[in-house]
Amino acid sequence: MNKQLRKIQILFLAPCISLAALLWVAKSNWISIAAAQVSRNAAVPRTPLVFDKAPVRVVEDANPSFNAIAMDSDDSEVLISNNNKASTPSILVYPTEFKTTDRVMEPKRRIGGPTARLGDICGIAVSPQNKEIYTVQGEEPEMKVFPLDGNGDMDAARSLKVAHGSADVYLDSKNDELFITTEHINKITVYKRSARGSDKPVRFIQGPHTQIADPHGLYVDSDSNELFVTNYGSWRETASDEDVESRASDREEAALPLAASTGKFVPPSIGVYSRTAQGDAAPLRVIQGAHTQLNLPLGVARDPVTGQIVVANSGGDSVLFFDAKASGDVAPVRVLKGAATNLKSPTGVLVDTKRNELWVTSWENHTTNVFPRTAQGNMAPVRYIRSAPKDAPPATFGTPGAVAWDPQRKEILVPN
Amino acid sequence: MFAGSANGNAVSVRTIEGQATLQARTNHQIGIDSVHDEIVAPNPFAQALLFFRGGANGEEAPIRVIQGPKTKLVYVDNVAVDPVHGEVVAAQTLTDSVLIFSREPGGDVAPIRILHGPKTKLDHPWKASVDPVNNLIAVTNKNRILVFNRTDDGDVAPKWDIEGPTLRAMTPRVLTPVLYPEARKIFVSMRVKQPNNVAIAVWNYGDQGDVAPWAVIKSSPTTRLTTLTNGGMAINPEAKEFMALAGEVYGSERILIFYAPELFR
Repeated sequence: MNKQLRKIQILFLAPCISLAALLWVAKSNWISIAAAQVSRNAAVPRTPLVFDKAPVRVVEDANPSFNAIAMDSDDSEVLISNNNKASTPSILVYPTEFKTTDRVMEPKRRIGGPTARLGDICGIAVSPQNKEIYTVQGEEPEMKVFPLDGNGDMDAARSLKVAHGSADVYLDSKNDELFITTEHINKITVYKRSARGSDKPVRFIQGPHTQIADPHGLYVDSDSNELFVTNYGSWRETASDEDVESRASDREEAALPLAASTGKFVPPSIGVYSRTAQGDAAPLRVIQGAHTQLNLPLGVARDPVTGQIVVANSGGDSVLFFDAKASGDVAPVRVLKGAATNLKSPTGVLVDTKRNELWVTSWENHTTNVFPRTAQGNMAPVRYIRSAPKDAPPATFGTPGAVAWDPQRKEILVPN
Repeated sequence: MFAGSANGNAVSVRTIEGQATLQARTNHQIGIDSVHDEIVAPNPFAQALLFFRGGANGEEAPIRVIQGPKTKLVYVDNVAVDPVHGEVVAAQTLTDSVLIFSREPGGDVAPIRILHGPKTKLDHPWKASVDPVNNLIAVTNKNRILVFNRTDDGDVAPKWDIEGPTLRAMTPRVLTPVLYPEARKIFVSMRVKQPNNVAIAVWNYGDQGDVAPWAVIKSSPTTRLTTLTNGGMAINPEAKEFMALAGEVYGSERILIFYAPELFR
């Protein structure tokens, strides 16, 4: 009997033990599951691997790159923007007259540094009367004003909130107005010269009839009351007073609905408007077409003596001169181009009538070149400024936007 | 383009530039298609995706362009490539959507898939990355990282959603995602925020919710990843390297290349 009872006990116990074990395991699992569930709603504890080592290679160009240009004829100084981020973007001030040398020329003064916080300086203008320098930058929604005799790492004397994507600034001294082009939203905005903070513009040109297509350089002729704007040719329909793309990534408004795109490519152009045009105003005339030779046109100016429209043709390594009343698909009346000119990706132009000279910044080869005002053909500059040694590699970095790796060619790609 | 071994003030081995290339001055992500030997670049101002020969140089026009009313492209400054399935992906921050196109035939074509709607949780989507092996698309948003199945379409919930106090403490904005299929990892560059000073973080596939990263790459005087403005980043798994566009002030002064075998396992 006892043996049988023991057998029964063992047999009975075994299932009990098994059941208890099962219950124990299940409870443990439930705890894990419950813990996991809780952790979904709380930080999953994990100690990250920390990588804090120096790079094995660094690709950078520390040589300043010349971009926009302006002149203070009163003090015989030329102001040139350097927009190379690795060389501390700055406003470089040089004398208008100097002996040419193949050595790097140090500027008389330099405004730049962490306090000045200048970035991709796309445009520069000066007012000798008011002793001011005006700068706009591609990535900052701010126009900064510095004293004309400024030097060193200094804060702007004042700033004006503008749309993101500024491409150029021009001071119309006669009418005391500042004009600014904005790439991202196909717009030209006009402010009082003394505008600051959140002051509103006095007028703007924007809209589908304006034919503004990725605008860059601008120039105002206050005698003929004309406004000249260079366009790269990337066009999309832009409503009047629209600013949806100005700060795309930081927008605060609700998302736009999915709708039909309006983008298209049009040939590069120079648009001419009435100086006082506003709203969705059509241009007075447009210089555009294959005969114009326009190729990524940037800085624009007017020769006050001949009235010719002067364009830094960055994609064509040339300077183009158009008749004062040019319109449509017309050839330039004069072209400055060729190996002797020292022009590689010219970006800014200005005509100095005091010395009868033409100044052209040449971004890719770190030079600013001075020519006779009537220069043409394959003519060498009469003097030039270098911001890098003669044998320095061509400039590549201005404001690079991304990096990619090509595993087939083992190449690093950088859109700039 | 620079040689992979480039260092210092290196000479560019080739440059695609000029009017005929149809490029804009703003471009925050390009794609490499190693199967078809193509480079894909966005033009936000003309609302277009440009396809170049992989060996293009000089003023060379794109071989194909996706542009037109049917595309629904709006301010497209980024593009990711799926070379295996022949697709390209563009995050659209202005419309809170992700558009997927077939790489051919180009022209005025509608997206073959669109991620859009409240279930997607897309919120200021910035950039995307595609893993054609594990069939995933990662999308960085204002303060979350969403991972979808590659073939998801419409108003669908993400497969994984990394978000929460841990991520917010690291950064005010995640920037560029890069999926690493072999090790099933998600690299994400971000705006640096003190005192955490994380420039790039790496999560595992399957991470979900408020989860700490598997690895962090510090923003420090040693790494020099002080500021990343657009978050440009790429990986070279073969050499166990990653590279980032960074700088002290502007976040785009230079390209830094790191050797990091510990991150490629």
